[in-house]
Amino acid sequence: MKGYGLFYYIAEAFRGLRSNSLVNILAVGTISMAMLIVGFFLIVFLNLQTAVNALGDRLEMSVYLKDGLTEHEKDFIQHRIRMEPGVKKVGYLSRVEALQLFKKELKGQEALIQGLAENPLPDSYEVTIDRQYADAERLEAMAGKISQYRGVEEVSYGKEGARVLSGFYKVVAYGGMALAILLGVTVVFIISNSVRLALYSRGQEIELLQWIGATRGFIQGPFLIEGMMLAMLGSALAVGVLAGVFYAIPREVFLFLSRPNGLDFLPISVVTCMIIGGGLLGLAGGLVSVSKFLE
Amino acid sequence: MIQLYRVTKYYEGVPALREVSFTVDKGEFVFVTGPSGAGKSTLLKILFCAEHADEGRIVMQGINTFRLKAATIPYLRRNIGFVFQDYKLLPHKTVSENIALALKVVGTPAGEIEQRVYQVLKKVGMETKRHLTPPKLSGGEQQKVAVARALVNEPQVLLADEPTGNLDPQSAQEVFRLFKDINMKGTTVLVATHDWETVRKMQRRIITMEGGKVIDNGGQSPQKPTLAPLNPQAGAAGTKPAKKEP
Repeated sequence: MKGYGLFYYIAEAFRGLRSNSLVNILAVGTISMAMLIVGFFLIVFLNLQTAVNALGDRLEMSVYLKDGLTEHEKDFIQHRIRMEPGVKKVGYLSRVEALQLFKKELKGQEALIQGLAENPLPDSYEVTIDRQYADAERLEAMAGKISQYRGVEEVSYGKEGARVLSGFYKVVAYGGMALAILLGVTVVFIISNSVRLALYSRGQEIELLQWIGATRGFIQGPFLIEGMMLAMLGSALAVGVLAGVFYAIPREVFLFLSRPNGLDFLPISVVTCMIIGGGLLGLAGGLVSVSKFLE
Repeated sequence: MIQLYRVTKYYEGVPALREVSFTVDKGEFVFVTGPSGAGKSTLLKILFCAEHADEGRIVMQGINTFRLKAATIPYLRRNIGFVFQDYKLLPHKTVSENIALALKVVGTPAGEIEQRVYQVLKKVGMETKRHLTPPKLSGGEQQKVAVARALVNEPQVLLADEPTGNLDPQSAQEVFRLFKDINMKGTTVLVATHDWETVRKMQRRIITMEGGKVIDNGGQSPQKPTLAPLNPQAGAAGTKPAKKEP
C-alpha cells in the first residue's frame, strides 16, 4: 500500500472516536456490560470444568482376576489393559494387599471378617482412566471389552458416577457454547449500532469520499478499526471490573466450594482471548453496518 | 473522450433522458444548457456513474461505463473531476485538508501532499486562505476550492453541474475563467448550466436539452456519434490509466 494503509485508518478511527465521544462512551459501556456477563460465566464455567476434571481424575476401574493365574498370564492381561485407549495408569493389587486395605477401611469393625477361613478377595488391576475418556458410553464399552479377556473374572467401575460426570461435561460444554454465541451476537449488534450512528453523523463525508473516487476499503477501513477498538476497550473494561470485584471479595466466601483455593480468576490466556475475541466481534459489527450503509 | 449513444434513463417510469446521443472530443469545452428539468444533472450523474442508464451506450475515456462493475467505478472517477453546485466541502476541515483528501484517496505519498495542495490552490488563487475552513469563505471562494479539489489529481475530464448557480455574477465569471484556463491546458470540460448570458459570452460549443432530449448538439450530427471500440476494463490507447491505489 502506497501511503494510506493501516496507520491512516487507525488515525482516522481515533478521529472518529473523538468526534462521536458520547455515542462511543455509551457503546463502550454497553459492550462492557455484555462482556461482564461473558466474563462472569467464563469464571463459573472454567471453575466448574476444573472441578469436573478433578472428579474425572479420580475415576478408576477395577479389573478382578480369576484365581490360579500364573505370573505370566497376569502380566499379559496387564499389558493388554495398558494397550487400551484411554488407560492412563494400571496398578496391581494382590488379594493380600486388597484384604489389608479392606481391613483398614473397616477400622473398628474388623469383627465382620474375622470368621472368614480364607481371603475371599481376588487379585485385581486398578485402572486409572484418562479424563477425556470419562464418558459413560466409552467406559461401558471398555469395561465390556476387558471383561472378555481370558483370566478376567469381573470389571467394575463407578457406572453411575461416570454417567453423571459425562452428563455434567455435556451441560457445561453445550451451555457454555450457547451462551458464548448469544453474547457474541449481542456484542456484534451493539457495535453495529454504534458504528451506524457514527456513519450517519459522517454521512456527508462518506458521500464525498465516494464522489472523489475512494474505494470501499478506503471508506470502511477506519470504521472497522473504530468498531474493533470500541469492542476491545469495552472488553478490557469488563475484565478490569470483574478482576476488581473478584479480588475484593474475601476468600472465605468461597470456602463452601471445599476447594483448597476457592475460585480461580480467569487465566491470562482467557483474558487475552476475551479482548481479542471482543475486537473481532467489533470488527464484524463494524462490517455489518458499513456494508449496509454503503449499499 | 466522451461518447453517448441513445442513452435513456427513467425515474419511476418517467423518462428523464430520451435517446441522448453526442460526442465530446478530447480537449473540447462544451456547455450543456436547458431549462430546469431538461435532464442536465441526470446526464452528468450518468457520466459520473452516480446513476445508471437504462438504455444506450456510454463511453468515457474508452471505457464502456454502461457495463462497469461497482468496484471499478472509483477508479474511473479518479480520472474525472466533478464540481458541484453546493461545493460539497467538508466544513470541519480546512481548505488544505479538503483538497488533501482527494489526494489521499488515490494513495498519494504523504510527503507530496502539501506541495501539490499548495500548487493547485495557487492555480485558483486561494493559496493564502488554505488554513481557513469553508464556512469562513464566500460562495465564490468555496467554489474555487471545490474546483481546486476537482483538479488536484489532474483529471482528463472536468464535469461541473450548475457550478455558478449559487454565485454572484462576478464570482461566476471568475469560476468560468478558471474553467477556460483549465481547458486551455488540455482538460476536457463539460459544464451543465442555465446561465445563458455567460454561455453566450464564452463562445464555446453548446448542447441544448429540453424534456430529456438533445434538441441541439452544437453542430454535431445528433444520432450518429462515432463510437470507439469498446473495452470495459481498460482505458483506450492514449488515455491515462486509472490510479489503482489504495
